[in-house]
Amino acid sequence: MAVSTVYTVQSLNSTCSISTPSKPFSQKHILFFTTTKRALTRSCRQISCSAEDKTVVIGLAADSGCGKSTFMRRLTSVFGGAAEPPRGGNPDSNTLISDTTTVICLDDYHSLDRTGRKEKGVTALDPKANDFDLMYEQVKALKDGAAVDKPIYNHVSGLLDPPELIKPPKILVIEGLHPMYDERVRHLLDFSIYLDISNEVKFAWKIQRDMAERGHSLESIKASIEARKPDFDAYIDPQKQYADAVIEVLPTQLIPDDNEGKVLRVRLIMKEGVKFFNPVYLFDEGSTIEWIPCGRKLTCSYPGIKFSYGPDTYYGHEVSVLEMDGQFDRLDELIYVESHLSNLSTKFYGEVTQQMLKHSDFPGSNNGTGLFQTIVGLKIRDLFEQIVVSRTAAALEAAKA
Amino acid sequence: MATVAGVNVAAVKVFARASEPSPKSVSFSHVNNPWRRSACVPIRKICVAAAPDKLTNKVEESIKAAEEACAGDAVSGECAAAWDEVEELSAAASHARDKQKDSDPLETYCKDNPETDECRTYDN
Repeated sequence: MAVSTVYTVQSLNSTCSISTPSKPFSQKHILFFTTTKRALTRSCRQISCSAEDKTVVIGLAADSGCGKSTFMRRLTSVFGGAAEPPRGGNPDSNTLISDTTTVICLDDYHSLDRTGRKEKGVTALDPKANDFDLMYEQVKALKDGAAVDKPIYNHVSGLLDPPELIKPPKILVIEGLHPMYDERVRHLLDFSIYLDISNEVKFAWKIQRDMAERGHSLESIKASIEARKPDFDAYIDPQKQYADAVIEVLPTQLIPDDNEGKVLRVRLIMKEGVKFFNPVYLFDEGSTIEWIPCGRKLTCSYPGIKFSYGPDTYYGHEVSVLEMDGQFDRLDELIYVESHLSNLSTKFYGEVTQQMLKHSDFPGSNNGTGLFQTIVGLKIRDLFEQIVVSRTAAALEAAKA
Repeated sequence: MATVAGVNVAAVKVFARASEPSPKSVSFSHVNNPWRRSACVPIRKICVAAAPDKLTNKVEESIKAAEEACAGDAVSGECAAAWDEVEELSAAASHARDKQKDSDPLETYCKDNPETDECRTYDN
């Protein structure tokens, strides 16, 4: 009985939810049946259900216009199913729900709406505009398996709408500007990611996004970035020292004097010593490698692809850095690269390539941003499965003791 | 269950308060008046097109307001807050554009009403 419970929990689509309604019944059974064997199986099923009820919380921090939505879509796709806004609710809700994951936008915890911030002269980046107490309270409640009524910040009207009910999911992702700012919320996160986009690349991306919009000009885009920079550097940027993984996007080094920003150099900085997280490596873990896959076996077009891997320190922590500079033009380049990377946590050969191809229309699908976002998604899936297994094992130990 | 009914009631209240007609509110009247089915889809189309236009106007206005606010003092809190609003509205406009690009009116309608004649699928 106990063994079979462990096996059901290991898969993401577990049948534990079916036995949950029987919890009140099993409680009654423990009272009535005094045989130790029967009590053990009943309490095991009950405890393994409650171990699974504990949500895994992932934090994602990035500035606006930096690829959070694309990352979210890739992440929910790795777990299976498409994430959609809640059915029958507020159409301007920022929440996304799929079978296993729920994504909450931290803008919903703004304490000041748009007019309030204008009056006080604070940006949304300022901690004064956010209610961290409510954020901590609700994330903790969701993590412990309780549903919450979360406020909605309507980005169209700039007002705080009536709350919506959020049920605790298997995986909760909180994305926004300040997931790691408040210390209490930081300790609730099982894994955290920071998307660090350099100024030149940010400018190029915002131009691409906003030039189609009537009213915007190069000067207005530049002025908008400059005006937000002091608050960004003071409140958002320091969060990268707390992240377990940082995806840093820089201009390419392969094309001299490139200012188009099409080819990117992306670095995946992975903290060492994080529980349940084994960094991806190239050829030999812990050594320094420079690798250009293009050559006799693989032909690439200009500017080609360059990889490097090595240990480093980042804000005082030991990290491993995997870097990719260049673009993928063909499918076989992608599969060739995937076959040489290790510790990817894929379930079958070619899973990374398959995920990248599934979303070939997403931005960044031909360079390191898409590749590393997909890899981080697979790592998070692996982390989730390991956490569930360890919690069940701990619960069984407690039941036996 | 009570929670689901509560959410539905709350959802109806939200639509009553919203200034623009939400496409989802049409589906409630559809349940009661099935002959109105054909009328639903064109209304939905108009609703989807409206959002980006409204947002575009908002973006334009906010840029003008930000330029005025910063004409006085370029490093004040008001200037930063004004440009932050421009950034927020530009992001919302770009998300609305992306949503509009992928949405197919028939698919969105069928997601909520799979039992209607237009949306039935036969597997044998």
